[in-house]
Amino acid sequence: MITKQNLERISDTLWQVPQDFRGDMRAPARLYASEELLDDALRDESVTQLVNTATLPGIVKYAIAMPDIHQGYGFPIGGVVATRAPDGVISPGGVGYDINCGVRLLASRISAEEIAPHIKDLATALYKNCPSGVGSEGSVPLNAKQLDDVLEQGSEWARQNGYARRDDLDRTEEFGRMPGADAGAVSKRAKDRGRDQLGTLGAGNHFIEVDRVVEVYDAQIADRLGLFPEQIVAQIHCGSRGLGHQVCTDYVNDFQRAVREYEIELPDRELVCAPLDSPEGQAYFKAMAASANFAFTNRQVLAHHIRRSFEEVLAGVVKDFDLFQIYDIAHNMAKVEEHDVEGKRVKVCVHRKGATRAFGPGAAVLPDDLRAIGQPVLIPGSMGTASYVLIGTEKAMRETFGSTCHGAGRVMSRAKAKKEVRGEKLREELAARGIVIRAGSMPGLAEEVPQAYKDVSRVVEVVQRAGIARMIARVEPLAVIKG
Amino acid sequence: MKRFEEIPHTADWSFRAFGRDARELFENAAHALFALEGARARDDANEITRDIRVTALDYESLLVTWLTELLWLQESHREMYRRFNITTLAPTELRAQVFGAPFIELGKIIKAVTYHNLAITQTAQGWEAVVVVDV
Repeated sequence: MITKQNLERISDTLWQVPQDFRGDMRAPARLYASEELLDDALRDESVTQLVNTATLPGIVKYAIAMPDIHQGYGFPIGGVVATRAPDGVISPGGVGYDINCGVRLLASRISAEEIAPHIKDLATALYKNCPSGVGSEGSVPLNAKQLDDVLEQGSEWARQNGYARRDDLDRTEEFGRMPGADAGAVSKRAKDRGRDQLGTLGAGNHFIEVDRVVEVYDAQIADRLGLFPEQIVAQIHCGSRGLGHQVCTDYVNDFQRAVREYEIELPDRELVCAPLDSPEGQAYFKAMAASANFAFTNRQVLAHHIRRSFEEVLAGVVKDFDLFQIYDIAHNMAKVEEHDVEGKRVKVCVHRKGATRAFGPGAAVLPDDLRAIGQPVLIPGSMGTASYVLIGTEKAMRETFGSTCHGAGRVMSRAKAKKEVRGEKLREELAARGIVIRAGSMPGLAEEVPQAYKDVSRVVEVVQRAGIARMIARVEPLAVIKG
Repeated sequence: MKRFEEIPHTADWSFRAFGRDARELFENAAHALFALEGARARDDANEITRDIRVTALDYESLLVTWLTELLWLQESHREMYRRFNITTLAPTELRAQVFGAPFIELGKIIKAVTYHNLAITQTAQGWEAVVVVDV
């Protein structure tokens, strides 16, 4: 067990486990946290898992954890590890089962006051139009060729088929299309699982929300992004569904053999990895990129359904019911990026597992209008609580390979949450606070009770104080749609 | 001997399965999986039998592969399984017949069976395994 005594304090918000803490570490491990969040992290296996990631061959600088760190499997949730490309390793477990789980934010020009009389109808329309829940089937059945096109083209497929607008793609990480995707690297089993799941939300912590912008912290940047106080926005949190789960399952299994072949010794079998430039590493990268494209397209089709729902309920009621995209980010992904390391520009494979890319101003991969201000970062809170829009910073580029936190982070097990809270009661409590809930499963709802999570505001405050993202706006929910 | 017990895990779900021998351990791990999902079978349906054969590198990965196969069968046929009869169990191969019925509803989706901290141990009482699943 790791205790505070094993940590060096680097600054007010940064802690380090030195490399000599354990003989198998290939780099130090760093954790961004306040004292309070550090205490949370030290309660379970999170920090041990962070230290385990510091053993990955080819790791550059240090393993990193964000203030929303919590115990996962293999990597902690909230972990960032960059490895040297192309001879460092790529680890499927460092991305996780829900490949390109992420968040999309759409914004309207409607005010909270205007929508108030219609919010229940809107929630009902969203629940009806956006398939959710265990085993839900999508609204876009795909034949084999169409599925391969989705896997290789991502949001571009959605645009060509009437589910996306050009400006949606401009406001999506990687423009909604990961380079290097190859449908041929995705197993038949994964494709079978994905074929009827495009445009579905799934269950668990995934959601669609209608939110109100309650506070703007940087009026100038908010204005550049198209955000203003009292504005109605819509948020989607979901990923690559069964297709991504299967791709990760397939490759974690295959890599059990690969680690023997490459003689890689690891403290946990979930961390299995292979050199990025090996046949195994390349096959996984292609399949992961294809799964990421499936997830981008999934959120895009859901965005289309949200627009349809706004039109159904609000056409003829408000002047302008259009929704434009603020941004779409991935928080489970491995990407080959260029970063400055010890004064040199180097290529690294950045694993972000429950962490968000947060590129600062000037990043060449951002579209022109965002390059001046930095990349928007979307941080969903736990159900019924606030979510944040942040922006990437230059300091994140220097310290965290352009990464920041991804959400609130759990502190209570699902079993305990279910024991302590009943779904129906939770729904009543949220209703009393003016939040409309449409959910398929009451026990599922109980697992996501806000008390099971850290306070997202404390997480965001730490990344702001650490300078690895900046707060732009805070939104709070009016309606929550869950499986 | 109890079949399995839940182990607290902050974000996902973990259980310890028991067995007097490896075969019983593997069967009880399967019971744990379906218990967690809260699957409800249709009462009126005839029993369905499925044959399974999986191979792996060692006992630990065989356990993950066996549980993963059950999840896959469940999702693709929309069934749940209540009885497990393992006919062959070697460290690298498992053959079984499983018996179940179509399910009415699932309480929860298990995304995957992980290799995290996976260990099969022999104790004075028999065999034990700790498994973490992603939910």
